[in-house]
This record gives sequence, C-alpha cells and structure tokens, in this order.
Amino acid sequence: MIRVRDLSVHFPGFSLESINLDVKERDFFALIGPTGSGKSVLLEAIMGLIPMDRGAIFLNDREITKTPPERRGIGIVYQDFALFPHLNVRKNILYGVRYHAIPGKEAEDRFQALVETMNLSHLLNRHPLTLSGGEKQRVALCRALILNPGVLLLDEPLSALDPLLQDEIKNLLKSLHQKLGTTFIMVSHDFSDVLFLANRGAIIHRGRIEQTGAIQELFERPGSPFVAQFVGMKNVYSITGVNGRRVSLGGLDVHLERSVPGHCHLAVRPEEILCIDGGMPDHFSNDLSDHLPDHTQDFSNRFSGTVHRLVNRGFYFDVFIRVNGVEFMAQWTRRQVIKKGLEIGAPTWIAIPERSVHTF
Amino acid sequence: MLLMPEVSDLVSTIKERAVLEALGRSIFTALGATAVAVVFGTPLAYIMARKTFVGKKFVEGLIDLPIMIPHPVIGIAILSLFGRNSLWGELLSRINIEIMGSITGIVIVLVFVGAPFYINTVKAGFEAVPPRLEKASQSLGAGMTATFFRVTFPMVWRNMILGSVMCTARAISEFGAVIVVAYHPMTAPVLIYERFTAFGLKYSQCVAFWLIIISLILFLTMRFFSRERPLS
Repeated sequence: MIRVRDLSVHFPGFSLESINLDVKERDFFALIGPTGSGKSVLLEAIMGLIPMDRGAIFLNDREITKTPPERRGIGIVYQDFALFPHLNVRKNILYGVRYHAIPGKEAEDRFQALVETMNLSHLLNRHPLTLSGGEKQRVALCRALILNPGVLLLDEPLSALDPLLQDEIKNLLKSLHQKLGTTFIMVSHDFSDVLFLANRGAIIHRGRIEQTGAIQELFERPGSPFVAQFVGMKNVYSITGVNGRRVSLGGLDVHLERSVPGHCHLAVRPEEILCIDGGMPDHFSNDLSDHLPDHTQDFSNRFSGTVHRLVNRGFYFDVFIRVNGVEFMAQWTRRQVIKKGLEIGAPTWIAIPERSVHTF
Repeated sequence: MLLMPEVSDLVSTIKERAVLEALGRSIFTALGATAVAVVFGTPLAYIMARKTFVGKKFVEGLIDLPIMIPHPVIGIAILSLFGRNSLWGELLSRINIEIMGSITGIVIVLVFVGAPFYINTVKAGFEAVPPRLEKASQSLGAGMTATFFRVTFPMVWRNMILGSVMCTARAISEFGAVIVVAYHPMTAPVLIYERFTAFGLKYSQCVAFWLIIISLILFLTMRFFSRERPLS
C-alpha cells in the first residue's frame, strides 16, 4: 500500500535517516516514539508537505515522491485539528469536495452518512472556535474521510483531548477503521493507545526506526533497550553471563523460559514482578495474579530484597527494590502496599516468572 | 485648532481650486502609493512571515529603515538614486519618466514612507495564520493558489485593509520627503507649509482642517474594518 524507501530529511539540529516502511492495505499502522523523535516529520514527508533530501515514496506501487500533496490522495488529521476558523462546520467538512470530482449527489450522501456517524448534525452551522476538543476532532475526521482517501494520516489524534474524550475518540477511530477499511497511519507517543488501536507499527528514536512489526510483537519482543523501555519494560539490564537457561545479572542468577544464545539484554515489566510472602509459593498474595494465572506456580526466580523507594501513583505504587545491588521496579496496588506494610527500608520478597523475563 | 477657523473660511477654502487640487493630489498619490505597496508588499510580507533565508534580518531592516530615518533624507536618497544626473534617472528619462517635480516622484516617495506600515501589518497577519491550516488545505486537494484565496486571504484581509489605511494615512501626511523631491505639483501638506510661511497661521489652518478630516475618516474606516465579528 505505502512503501517508503531510504527516506532522509534534514533540518538544522534534526534529521530523519534512511527510513524504510511498508504499510499494508487496511493496516492501522502506528509510528511510535517520544516527543522530538521525528514521527510527525515522517508523517508530513509522506504527505509531501516537507521537502525530502533523499528517498522514494510509493502508494499502491505508484511513485508519489514528486507528486504535490494535493494530488497524492492521502488525508491528514492534525493533532490540533487544523480546522478553518473562518468557515462553519458544514463548509469545513465540504472544503475539499470541489477538488475531487465527486458528483453532487454522492458528495451529499457521503456528507450525510459521515455527519450521522460522527454525530455532528446539530453542529453544522457552528464555527470551530465554539466547539469542544472531541467535536473538533470529529469534524477534522469527517473533513478528511469525505474524500475517501487511500490512506489517512493521524498526527497524535488523542493528545489534545482530555482522558474521557480520549476513550470516545479511540473507540470512534477503531470503529471507523473497521467500517471503512481505509488504511490508517497514526503517530503516537503513548504505547497503550497503540496497543488498543493499531495492528502494526514502527518505533522511531532520534530520527531512525528502531524496530518495526506487529504491535503484539513489539510489545512482547522488543529488540533494543530503548524499545523495551518504550513498551513499558522499565527494568532493562545488561546480562553479565549466560549458562544455558540461566543468565547472570549482577550477583543474581535469573532463570529463563528458553536459552538465549547471543542475547545481551534482559528486561522485565514492573507489573510482572510479583510480591510474595516469605518467598513461599503457598503464601503467594499478588493481586495481579488474578489475570496472570500461568505465573502463579512459576517461582524459580525468587529474590529477597529491600524497599528503597516508594512512589505513590494514585491507584498503585512504583516500588523500587534492591536485590544484591540490582534494582527492580515493581508496580503493586495500593492495597498490597498497605496490607504488607511496605515502607522504605522494609525487607520484601519478589518473584519474577520465567516467561516474564525478556531477552534480546 | 479645529474650533478656531470660521465656518465661512472653511467653506471658502474647500472651494478654492488650489486647495481642492492639492487635497485631490494628496489622496490620489497616497492611494497610488498604497496600490503599489499592496501589489509588491503582499508577497514580500508573505515571504517575510513564512520563509527563513540568509539576510532576512537585513531585509527586515531595509523595510523598517524609512520609519527610522528623517524623511528629508529619504527624499534626498531618492533624488540621488533617480535624479536627472543619476544612472537610473537617465534611464527613466529616456522612457519619459521624470522623478523630480512630478506625480511619479511623489508616488515613489510615498511608497517608501508608507510601505513599511503596510508590509509590517500584513506580515503580522500572515504570521497569525498557522501554517498547518495551509497544509491541511493542500491535503484536502487545494493547490497553493486556491489555498491562499480560500484559507490565507480570508484570515488576513483585515490586516491588508488595516495596512492599506495606515499606508494611505501615512502617505497623505508626508511632507519632509515630498518637499525635497516635488515642491510642485503641490500636495496638501506642502500647500499648508507654503501658506503658513507666506501668509501665516490663520491662512494655513483651513487647509489643515480639511487634511485632518480626511485623516480622521481614514482612521475611522480602519477601526471599522479591523473590529472583531462575533462567531455563531
């Protein structure tokens, strides 16, 4: 569907280097990375809105590298919606119709269908400045989708919205993608949004693609310490020695599910570090075990350590535990922390199920 | 000063052929200078608002220069550049364009003194239009020209009117540079000066009154067009 080959863009102080991407038809593809990593620049380069220094872009095997943005057949919805403030909602939505040779009847049908789907009928005569964030987002989506773009680019579609609206727009995007079958490419810095919405993605860091693949694969099998951190594996370590299914981590022996020749990093998600009583399986008491039934009997990695920092996150705590000089960060519920009387300096036992230890 | 002249004096002054011609000349040359500023200043303002290039600060300085330096100096500079003994002046006189003592000369002077006001006002207008709106327009199929007329222009036309009025008002009131380049044909400020030096305060007041009224109308127009409209 969309192929990007060897794309490079240079600005003073920033560059995108040799980007290669393959987005398939009907994909919900996510470009993921922290702020300033270059994902929005890549989106605008695909759209043709910024000049490229090198590379080629293909849409359905047709090279569009030199095609002006207005003739690429690609739509974009910006983070700040970019609605025209001097036009009302109706005129905003119909803005592009005259450039796409859409017969009047068909344009009207598409308009009515989209306005109904997006629940915008009562807002058609309003100006963008008088709309809420969610309403603006729906108008921006409507304005792009009425043209039936081959690909729709979404630049951080959720970041300008409050948490309640984010859920509403996430559901809307998911249902629109399923209903319309349009290829979506979304830029996001939040992996949890990506997990919910996208099926494939690429992680960008400092203008380069770190890893690309199915979202589940990125989530479960990160290929570098950066990707591991980015997908939520806050505990990332260099392995100091390997012996079959056992690796050395500082002074600790960590058991793995399978042997890992050639791998040199180890990562564990904080929510997969379990809190246990006295290191004994029969006293297992982690609330998270409710949704981790497979882990409950896996206690080959049991360690005794000391709590040296507690960060209250509201519904849960970040608990930093030192074990033989190695620091682990765990996320435990408020109830667990209070029930066990955890405080700085308190001894505690932790368990890391073998299948929760990721290596790369 | 507005209250001092007698109404009969004001009426008789406005009926004078020389006064009407001078006022008409002032308005005509000021509007002419504004038209030149709009045609050449609008793209320049767009470039200054949107593009980054080497020497941009220098160009900005050049645009603002006529605001900072004494206006007789502008007149002298224009005469030096386009006077009869200069290369440009000679080239222009070959195609029968005279700068010294001509309407063309007055318009050129007024462009120099008025254009900075137009360019800076319109530049501020372009800067206030988020580039993303233009990009969104392009993504919806509009080319650059269509984007300018459907997105950018509707958002800056008030600045263009405002800049035009400021440019016109500044040009109408210009005296220092005009008197160097063209004492004749007389514009209203030169006529006021001449009457003041030759006949005294009272004789010049009536012409000054009418010039003030014209300037007032221009500024009221400016305020009318620059007011915010409520959104539905």
